[in-house]
Amino acid sequence: MDWQLMFDNLPLLLEGLERTIAISIAGVVLGAAVAAILVALQRSGRRWLIVPVRVYTEVVLGMPNLVLLYIVFYVLPGVGLLIEPLAAGLITLILYYSPYFAEVMRGALAAIPAGQIEAGRAVGMSRPAVMWRIILPQAFGLMLPPMTNLIIGLIKDSSILSVISVVELAFQTKQVIARTYAPFEVYLLVAIIYWVLISTVAVGLRRAERWVTLYRRA
Amino acid sequence: MLDGAVVTVELTVCAALLSLIIGTLSVALQLSRFRAGYWLSRSYVSAMRGTPLLVQLFVVFFGLPLLGIKGQSFLAATLAIGFNSGAFVTEILRAAILNVPAGQLEAAQAIGMSRAQTSRRVIMPQALVLSLPALTTEFTLVLKATPLASVVAVTELTYTGTLIIARTFHPTEILLTVAAGYVVVALAFTQLSRWLEQRFAILHL
Repeated sequence: MDWQLMFDNLPLLLEGLERTIAISIAGVVLGAAVAAILVALQRSGRRWLIVPVRVYTEVVLGMPNLVLLYIVFYVLPGVGLLIEPLAAGLITLILYYSPYFAEVMRGALAAIPAGQIEAGRAVGMSRPAVMWRIILPQAFGLMLPPMTNLIIGLIKDSSILSVISVVELAFQTKQVIARTYAPFEVYLLVAIIYWVLISTVAVGLRRAERWVTLYRRA
Repeated sequence: MLDGAVVTVELTVCAALLSLIIGTLSVALQLSRFRAGYWLSRSYVSAMRGTPLLVQLFVVFFGLPLLGIKGQSFLAATLAIGFNSGAFVTEILRAAILNVPAGQLEAAQAIGMSRAQTSRRVIMPQALVLSLPALTTEFTLVLKATPLASVVAVTELTYTGTLIIARTFHPTEILLTVAAGYVVVALAFTQLSRWLEQRFAILHL
């Protein structure tokens, strides 16, 4: 194992890491936004809104993410939408994870006692005010633990985008291997890089969890 | 394409069995008296959960030749998916074992059962029933992980699909069929899981 060779190629890998982090953040933020919309649709009570959401959820939950990626990348051009790899990859991550995010959000919202809403309305707060100032702050704390697992899953799944030639860490490893001809060592190194990234994110999210639920444990 | 589906099922079953075996061993290590076992198991779980399956697959795929085993992509895929899933099975079994009422353990020890007997006849059966729902979810996740094997040219459903697309240039039909295939099998697993849960609910756990 030639470690000097590894260090020489580290900048390439770190560039990939940067892109992976960017893609993951975008995926989480946009995925959560779409999930919020899905939850709102589901709670609207109108069947013509709820049924498409349920169908979409069931279909996506049953499909592997690689297959979904191929569909987004290869099938959509057939209906006239030509998408570049990065966009296709991001869309896939969002499409795949928003149902999971939505399920977590739904569970968190449902776990808030109805008494909270009643009390808020009783003191004269409007519906949006109740939602924004009473429900959501509490729901956020309930959401974080399951969301942590999903976010970690998203970061790991960003590696699948390399199959579509999206520039991120897994893709860069192939570039480095093309130069160094040491696939095992490079992939081992990249595994360690991912592990450090994900452990850092996990620790950070756990801290965030504790900060958000301070009101409950003070 | 049917051959591809067969290989997918083979891969899923092999990987799932492997992950059950590894998961059980890992949980046994974790709850044993040996601190080294605990540390080994925790590190294993952390490593598997902290790295992407794709990267793990390549590590195994490129590592096997270094051990002298050449050209075995199905084996590499089975090992990678099996080991990865084993970490999650470890966590599932751990939660299930800890959720068996403490009174069971106490009663068994009061009668004079040894640790091995308690584990085998009292704890594990109940833990297995408790873990059934989560295990079937994990089994479904193993199924959804199998397409990754296509990147190392294992002739499972997704890979076969891409080969057909390369020949016929009809990505839409093929990919939608492939996706439908997975959704159907995943739904079948979900039904199986619900049936199993109902069968075992009679035990009033």
